[in-house]
Amino acid sequence: MTPTVTISHVAKSFGQVHAVEDVSFEVYAGEIFGLLGPNGAGKTTTIRMMLDIFKPERGEVSVLGGAIDEAKKNRIGYLPEERGLYKDLKLEATLIFLATLKGVSETTARKKAVDWLKRLDLYDHRQKKIQELSKGMQQKAQVIATLLHDPDLIVVDEPFAGLDPVNTRLIEDIIREQQQAGKTIVMSTHQMYQVEALCGRIALINKGRTVLYGEVDQIKHNFAGNAIVVKGQGDFTNVPGVLETRHTNGDWHMALAAGANPQDVFKALAAREGLKIERFEIAEPSLDDIFISVVQGNPEALNA
Amino acid sequence: MRKLWIVAKNEYAKIVRKRSFLLGTLALPIFFIGIMVLSIVTTIGTDQQPVGYVDQTGWLSANAAPPADSAQRLKMLPFVDEAAARTALQNKQIQAFYVLPKDYLQTGKIMAYGWDKEPSAAAQSDFRYFLRANLVASLPQDVRQRALDGINLTARSADGAQEINGNAIINFFLPFALGFFFIMAVMNSATYLLQAVTDEKESRTIEVMATSLSPNQLIGGKALGLIGVALTQIVILCLTIGIGLGLGSNSIDFLRGVRVPWSMLGVALLFFVPAYVLIAGMMIAVGAAVTEVRQGQQLAGALNMLYTIPYFFVIIFMTNPNSPLSTLLTLFPTTAFVTITLRWGLSTIPIWELIASWIILVGSAIFSIWAAARVFRSGMLRYGQRLNLRAMLSAVRVKAE
Repeated sequence: MTPTVTISHVAKSFGQVHAVEDVSFEVYAGEIFGLLGPNGAGKTTTIRMMLDIFKPERGEVSVLGGAIDEAKKNRIGYLPEERGLYKDLKLEATLIFLATLKGVSETTARKKAVDWLKRLDLYDHRQKKIQELSKGMQQKAQVIATLLHDPDLIVVDEPFAGLDPVNTRLIEDIIREQQQAGKTIVMSTHQMYQVEALCGRIALINKGRTVLYGEVDQIKHNFAGNAIVVKGQGDFTNVPGVLETRHTNGDWHMALAAGANPQDVFKALAAREGLKIERFEIAEPSLDDIFISVVQGNPEALNA
Repeated sequence: MRKLWIVAKNEYAKIVRKRSFLLGTLALPIFFIGIMVLSIVTTIGTDQQPVGYVDQTGWLSANAAPPADSAQRLKMLPFVDEAAARTALQNKQIQAFYVLPKDYLQTGKIMAYGWDKEPSAAAQSDFRYFLRANLVASLPQDVRQRALDGINLTARSADGAQEINGNAIINFFLPFALGFFFIMAVMNSATYLLQAVTDEKESRTIEVMATSLSPNQLIGGKALGLIGVALTQIVILCLTIGIGLGLGSNSIDFLRGVRVPWSMLGVALLFFVPAYVLIAGMMIAVGAAVTEVRQGQQLAGALNMLYTIPYFFVIIFMTNPNSPLSTLLTLFPTTAFVTITLRWGLSTIPIWELIASWIILVGSAIFSIWAAARVFRSGMLRYGQRLNLRAMLSAVRVKAE
């Protein structure tokens, strides 16, 4: 199966700053692919290289079967991390303008815009200027602008930013619908539970390099043993071999450093005075735990 | 090409719908036409009253006859003496009266009397015409008409190639008016473009735009939209002048003889568009290179100066219009427009200079937009980072980032 997107060992610098050093991954038709990484890891630069906004200094980029040209741009929908709409233009006019730039006729764009505006509860605001809309409304408007021309490849950078739970669910549903319609989706986000809920495969980028890449289930399986859940009384923070400790619903969730052994952690807890351990279990790590484990504890690539 | 037009159309609509554009573009014409209408209303109210005269020579009384086109002019009423004329003036039957003393034919001296002001321009002009018509009344019809109409001068350069417009007032004021309009347009669009490009960076719209069309289409479309705006302003200005002259020439004597120098306006238009595109390209490059509008405005101010240089050499154009400096400023792209309009009314600009200047200007304009698109591409996503001159030059030389 030919990938819809192939990123192969791309690199990009800005002056002395190496934004991306070596990133590779493939995205296949009809999947939702998660692009993860801490702030400044190089995700946005990678996306920009993917979309031909930047040319890579090294490596290859192939999108929809080759290099991006003007015709392919019409088949791509892009939602940037920061909202990219003209603030002093009216909402409906903006959507129609952006859709016509993607090759849609004005009549079709107008008709589709009305459908989308109604669906995302923005129809009554269509004559307002973008700057008069709330953050959430602007984000929904940006989602419409991304999808109005019915693109084959959808690239969304933090699509849930500024949305309340109801609208977050709405956008999730729309993303799933697009996948079911056969569209390829690349999603960059910090919200790991969204990635777990939506993405089949992910690439984790850290310091300009791909450090984790593969199917979510497989990655979680590989990382089993790298997280533990403890229930008890006392202070469970600052335990040797533990990268991060979270206290949630009465349980202590601990992400272990690479090479740390759950048995050693148990011994350290047992030796600590004033602690009462009621339950200790090895947990299947969440993507959050894996993210922290890889980003903070293991600088080396660990491809599943 | 379709995307370029869509951007141009959007840019045009965005600007002309702005309140500031409407105010800036329509305020002057409305003011100008308003003044015209006001002056006409004033004229109709007072200046259409007849003018009286008292002929102490006895000559005019014997020969007085209205000119052939008297229907368009004020009515002239004879009075036997000054007392009768003064009474008529007091009763507002006439707006003023003239007294021709006995030695008028020898000295040409005439006295004019108004109630509280001198006779209107129309009264003075029509009375002079009335006198001339009567002075030449005994001449044959064709000679009489020629004496009244004066000469119809067409001046040409020595090689006969170019017509020199004999209308001194228009020749003097029009280049300044055109130049002023041009500089205003350049400064307005410079400010607008800087704002538009930096806004594009700040609002991050550029990321969406870059995935929809090429930098060339985006920049070309923006420039085209701005040219459309400038041409709209020109059309409004020309319509205003046309309407103003049309209305004004009926009642304002000074405007009757004004002939619009179409050749100068045609050449000005030919140079206006590429000169405008040139500054547009430069401003886009500056806007793409800087991080804040304020930084750009300083650079824009320096670039605007390049356009105003010819005004520092007006004296040279007047005393030696075809000096080497004049030629240099005619050929230099940023100074071509103002220099040519200033020189046009003062001398004959050699055809080769006009052609060479236009070719250089058009070439510079095309290069400016092309280079601006490259700098734009290079600088558009460097949020918070300024492109220095070296990086700008590098962006132009290297294919693209």
